[in-house]
Amino acid sequence: MDETMKEKIEILADYIMHRCLWQFHSRAWDRERQNAQILGVAKQLLLGEEPDLSTPELKCYWLDGFHLAKGFRQRFDWVNQMSKEELATLMDGLKERVDYLTIHGSLNKELTVAAY
Amino acid sequence: MPYHTFKCSECIPERAMHAVVKGPGEDLTSCLPLGYLNTIPGTISERGCAFCGAKHVIGAPMKDVIHLCHGPVGCTYDTWHTKRYISDNDNNQLKYAWATDVKEKNVVFGAEKLLKKTIIDTFKAQPHLKRMTIYQTCATALIGDDMDAVAREVMEELGDVDIFVCNAPGFGGPSQSGGHHKINIAWVDQKVGTKEPKIESDYVINYVGDYNIQGDAEIMCDYFHRMGIQVLSTFTGNSTFDELATMHRAHLNVLECARSAEYICNELRVRYGIPRLDIDGFGFDLLNESLMKVAMFFGLEEKAQKIIDEENARWRPELDWYARRLKGKRICLWPGGSKLWHWAHVIEEEMGVKVVSVYSKFGHQGDFEKGVARCSEGALAIDDPNELEALEAMEELKPDIILTGMRPGEVAKKIRIPYLNIHAYHNGPYKGYEGWVRLARDLYNAIYSPMYQLAAIDISKDEIPLERGFRSRRMISDVTLSPEEANVEGEHPYTGEYDNVTRLRTKVYPELEAQRAKHQEAAEEVLVPAK
Ligand code: SF4
Repeated sequence: MDETMKEKIEILADYIMHRCLWQFHSRAWDRERQNAQILGVAKQLLLGEEPDLSTPELKCYWLDGFHLAKGFRQRFDWVNQMSKEELATLMDGLKERVDYLTIHGSLNKELTVAAY
Repeated sequence: MPYHTFKCSECIPERAMHAVVKGPGEDLTSCLPLGYLNTIPGTISERGCAFCGAKHVIGAPMKDVIHLCHGPVGCTYDTWHTKRYISDNDNNQLKYAWATDVKEKNVVFGAEKLLKKTIIDTFKAQPHLKRMTIYQTCATALIGDDMDAVAREVMEELGDVDIFVCNAPGFGGPSQSGGHHKINIAWVDQKVGTKEPKIESDYVINYVGDYNIQGDAEIMCDYFHRMGIQVLSTFTGNSTFDELATMHRAHLNVLECARSAEYICNELRVRYGIPRLDIDGFGFDLLNESLMKVAMFFGLEEKAQKIIDEENARWRPELDWYARRLKGKRICLWPGGSKLWHWAHVIEEEMGVKVVSVYSKFGHQGDFEKGVARCSEGALAIDDPNELEALEAMEELKPDIILTGMRPGEVAKKIRIPYLNIHAYHNGPYKGYEGWVRLARDLYNAIYSPMYQLAAIDISKDEIPLERGFRSRRMISDVTLSPEEANVEGEHPYTGEYDNVTRLRTKVYPELEAQRAKHQEAAEEVLVPAK
């Protein structure tokens, strides 16, 4: 991954950290699910694909994913200039970065507590 | 690691990892204080106990309930419903606090008989109330009173009452947060699913983690009702016992304070499949997005957009008037829990202030993750500070105002720093668009208070400026503004009413009425099937 792509990922991760709450559910397994679902929906929307809204749970992920994709397009015009391949690389890298910040690199000792 | 050591705590090495400064380039993998750990002996922590967290924060806002503490009267006194969680039934829950008044002899011989007698006496004293919560405290937990058995006995004997048992004694966790946890789980275990609601709309939510401080929850419910959404319960502000027992029938849980109430949302998701949506009810931009998210779940985007347009047009000019005058002011954001993250960024964005420190006495590391992520560079994040550390922080950071609760607030006053009560509020509600302007107004009034300017003068050594007379707030705040900036067309101070909540209680909501009529019709068709 080139440096500009890394910088772009950092900008989007920073946007998520300042604005969103969904990535901070209390346990590691919740965060894995939240990150995968919501960033997955955002990626689908940016690539022009239709997300699955067939259950209330999926619909709820879509709410956050939709606003994330919308925010990216509105605030960072360079997102609108990217090709589908670039967008896919960007969103995969972003998922990896958010997973690292909130799960794998997290200093939060409660993430692995077995019960809520 | 960006840990910060307070000079006053150098002698307590265990405090070493409880404060961090968010330096350049720091992120959550390098900058996070410890949190929600057992209190370190000798630090003189100011935390509340787990019983306080269960009763004072979460249980007591329920409005048609007798709140009875089973323990020494001191525990009751410490949780004397002083948090201004108002309700639309004449504030029943604020007026009465009940206790079994356990004494030494009960500790020796047991207090179950006393508990049973007090429950019955209390129901007799308030015969119009048929719901009760009994709260365990340290003493009665240690002597092993079986509150569940007593509650079952009384319910059987009286027949028409319902009692919720909250086993969260003071020692049930490092801080009040342990009590939040216990009461969440106890409620979902004991009461959720025991009552069935009347469904009156196609769109049904629980609004969770709002305690209706000065009307916060009522403000948010106004927005939901305007869209035609039925709010089954607000957990727990201004809600009834029975409404909260029907939480299992909502389509969506809209969660505000994740610190105190995420547990019940997680349980409702796992047990009943109700999705959890975390929102921000504070700040124009975040609230716009939050309302739109809730609306989109039900396909009500147009209705939400109408509300967003109306509210922004009405209140934005007033917010901007204050933001112009608050720009650059340094604030310590020292709340209990959720405002740490709800406000950390948006208050800077929309009011122009600078958050120089965030703290929580009972927050978990998860709360600090949100707070540290949202606050800007240079902020000092502190877990469970004691009074000396807070004083040292104020002396070092030189904030213009402290946003906190009453106890630390009064300490700040003594060193001539104004404080705003963001636990029970000064002149809230602070939620919603108008509430955000009310917060800006209170910040402005406190920072530019002429009294504070006078109080800062030390008459034993400072020169008294005799040549100038009394200076009003406006004279002080506008001194750095150009005439154009001071008089932007359309911008002006707050023009709302003193009480912006009471009128909502009789307001008619056409969208909700239409939903009600539709559901009523459908119910009648079921009763009388068409031939
Ligand atoms: S710590 Fe125990 S004794 Fe003290 S107020 Fe809390 S419940 Fe009562």
